[in-house]
Amino acid sequence: MNKNKEQLLNKRYRAERRFRLYGQSAIFMALLFLTIFIFKIFSTGYTAFQKTWLIVPVNFDAEMMMIDQNPSKEDLQDADYYDIALKSMADLDQNANDDQKNQLKRMVSYFFEKEIKNEILNDPSLIGKTKEVYLTASDDLDQVFKGNYPRDLPEDQRRVSDYQLKIFDQLVAKGKVESKFNISFFTYADSREAELAGIASSFMGSIFSILVCLMIAFPVAVLAAIYLEEFAPKNRFTDFIEVNINNLAAVPSIVFGLLGLGVLLAIFHLPRSTPLVGGITLSLMTLPTIIIAARASLKAVPPSIREAALAMGASRMQTTMHHTVPLSMPGTLSGTIIGLAQALGETAPLILIGMVAFVNTIPGSPMDPAASLPVQIYIWAESAERGFVEKVSACIMVLLGFLIIMNLFAQIIRHKFEKKWS
Amino acid sequence: MAETQHTVKSYEEELKNLNSNIVKMGSACEEALGKAIVAITTRNADHAEEVIKDDEKIDKFESLIEQQVVNLIALRQPMAIDLRETVTALKMSSDLERIGDLAKNISKRSLLLNETLPKKLVDCLIRLSSSVQKQLKTTLDSYLERSASMAIDVWEGDEKIDDLTNECMQEVVKYLKETEKNLSDGTHLLFVTKNIERIGDHTTNVAEQIYFLVKGEYLEGDRPKGSEPIVTGEK
Amino acid sequence: MIKIKAKDVDVFYGKKQALYNISLDIEENQVTALIGPSGCGKSTFLRCLNRMNDVIDICNVKGEILINDFNINDKSCDVVRLREKIGMVFQKPNPFPKTLYENVSYGPTIHGMAQSKQEMDEIVETSLKKAALWEEVKDRLHEPGTGLSGGQQQRLCIARAISVRPEVILMDEPCSALDPIATAQIEELIDELKKEHTIIIVTHSMAQAARVSQNTGFFHLGHLIEHGPTDKIFKNPDNTKTQDYITGRFG
Repeated sequence: MNKNKEQLLNKRYRAERRFRLYGQSAIFMALLFLTIFIFKIFSTGYTAFQKTWLIVPVNFDAEMMMIDQNPSKEDLQDADYYDIALKSMADLDQNANDDQKNQLKRMVSYFFEKEIKNEILNDPSLIGKTKEVYLTASDDLDQVFKGNYPRDLPEDQRRVSDYQLKIFDQLVAKGKVESKFNISFFTYADSREAELAGIASSFMGSIFSILVCLMIAFPVAVLAAIYLEEFAPKNRFTDFIEVNINNLAAVPSIVFGLLGLGVLLAIFHLPRSTPLVGGITLSLMTLPTIIIAARASLKAVPPSIREAALAMGASRMQTTMHHTVPLSMPGTLSGTIIGLAQALGETAPLILIGMVAFVNTIPGSPMDPAASLPVQIYIWAESAERGFVEKVSACIMVLLGFLIIMNLFAQIIRHKFEKKWS
Repeated sequence: MAETQHTVKSYEEELKNLNSNIVKMGSACEEALGKAIVAITTRNADHAEEVIKDDEKIDKFESLIEQQVVNLIALRQPMAIDLRETVTALKMSSDLERIGDLAKNISKRSLLLNETLPKKLVDCLIRLSSSVQKQLKTTLDSYLERSASMAIDVWEGDEKIDDLTNECMQEVVKYLKETEKNLSDGTHLLFVTKNIERIGDHTTNVAEQIYFLVKGEYLEGDRPKGSEPIVTGEK
Repeated sequence: MIKIKAKDVDVFYGKKQALYNISLDIEENQVTALIGPSGCGKSTFLRCLNRMNDVIDICNVKGEILINDFNINDKSCDVVRLREKIGMVFQKPNPFPKTLYENVSYGPTIHGMAQSKQEMDEIVETSLKKAALWEEVKDRLHEPGTGLSGGQQQRLCIARAISVRPEVILMDEPCSALDPIATAQIEELIDELKKEHTIIIVTHSMAQAARVSQNTGFFHLGHLIEHGPTDKIFKNPDNTKTQDYITGRFG
């Protein structure tokens, strides 16, 4: 009898140990995957925050620029920089033939002309003089400098020619290649050229979409939740609505995209590819999430508080607005943030309403065409150029950073509210 | 006691215990009274000694009941019928203890008597005491049966006791007047008579308590009185 | 004088009847205790008196409840005005998660009882004094009410209830979550309050009912079994059910 008991006891302890082990290994797995994911993203992405520059001497020859010695501002604006730009690149190798000159030109981005122009606009006294100018290296050379480029491939399988590599190596040896923080990644809009592509457009697009989404979804959802929870009679009809809200939360996001396409674009003729339409579509998607969260947090407000207010002679409206809603706010807000975070990461519905279009301008309002961060990731991930690989990871990092900041914000709001209400 | 049981069994038991102690104490008093009467009428010294010895037992019952009542009040906070049970028990025990004392006193006096008593006097005493004994018995029965009507019978029966006491008193006075040597015995007999009457009074008190216990209200009005006793100045 | 007169009150929760034919008179400026086993309907009856049962959709109250000879179950009765006149204190202390001051000033604010900050300060002070809490909290009126001890919280709730000077105060087991000292303080307070208010208290503690009330009503399975002076109920109840309940012989 006693022995049996002891065996049983041991068995129970063993079961407990096993269970703990399962739990610990589950957590370990989760952490492992997370670490691998983050490591992968960071290790491929961190180089995108560096940009390679070639330092090339430029002779600002007035004649070649087709201006006189003392040009006005307008003259400088309209001057021809292409020739001096081309010449500066060609001068890197005195003996280059035409084909090689062409190759030399392709060692920098097609912005080289503009970069030279900016230089002289900043300092007009440079006319007639020679100055070393920082020019953006082409995306392939950028990758070469970062060590991401397979140099040992046969030449015909590479986009960088042996000649270009030779000149580049000479420049490196002379210390004329420099790597600096990649500001243009944050300030430039999208581009077909990896070295010039930035996230400014999609970042602003995301912000505008989220703002539109928040401004529509939050008030509507909170009002709906308050009405359903505090005022609506409990009958079959409200039950039906409740079931449908729950179902709505489970509808695939692409369906909302179709809705946006079919209703907002086709019937209301709202401008395509804009954060306005994107935001409205996303708000439809976020609505049920916020309603569910808001209702849950309204339910969580102890009924004793409601009773206390009612017994004091407060009307239903006063009870709700003075007590229940403020108490439910932290929960509602965190639900909202979760909904917005979901919306922020949403790609499919935005693709359907045209936010996948190539946009090389930075939107100034929700009415301007824009991309969004996840769509940008999608676009870049589709691109063939090697230079976009690191951009994808970098963009993911920005998106994650965005989400972390949002969550932090939510936490701060929550904390502040809770301090006040408890 | 009510038919339904208490949810807390130990409480139920404590009340039952208290109840049975009252009953035991009551029967001890009944026995003491009976023996005391026999002792005085038949001059049986053995009985007298027994009564004197057993009074200690009655006293112990009283203090035991007192403790039980205090415990019940402190620990159980009795309400309604239980409260009346408890309070009644306390008051009954003190009346019963007095009855025990008086029986003891009668027995002591029986040992001090010298002469044989005239038959008429003895008969009178026997009539008085048997009627008091009957009263006490009825009272204890009414307690056992929680009968208010029996308690009222006792209450009303006190009148008869008073009358019988007066008769006895007159006989004793007559006995005293007979000769001077009767002085000592006669005085004792006066006290014996008075004590028996006092026992009747205490019995009536107990009956009143029982009425309160059963009905929850007090017996209204004055207790029926027979003719005033002539010898004592009391009442 | 009779303050509240209930006549043949029936209460239904959906199809289930919770109260049967309750007729009960409640005396002004006295404490009436309602006792009975759990689920006997005493709280339901209490909540009929300020129509808190309205909150429950399926709850249906029939019969007349006259307060100052006015039937509160009448359609013309305004619930908000009614609850201004009839305050309530609940089983669990439920101060608003706001400051002490805001807790007490809430009622006067929504009913527009104070014209100025100074008047409001006075109302808060007198209410807290009447609730015997002023001395303990006067230096921290602007701290959250939820930071007080259980007994203090319950007295805060009483202060909140009396801040609108109700005629009747309903108390639903106000001491069930409190320790004996806090309970004694509340009981003393009830004794004080009955000078100005009519008090109806639901309690599970018979000893408490005996201590604080002048009248007691015993509910059982939705019926009012017995109602009368408290000393009578506790010394010599008429009904055997009442006796069985108060002596602990139930079930």
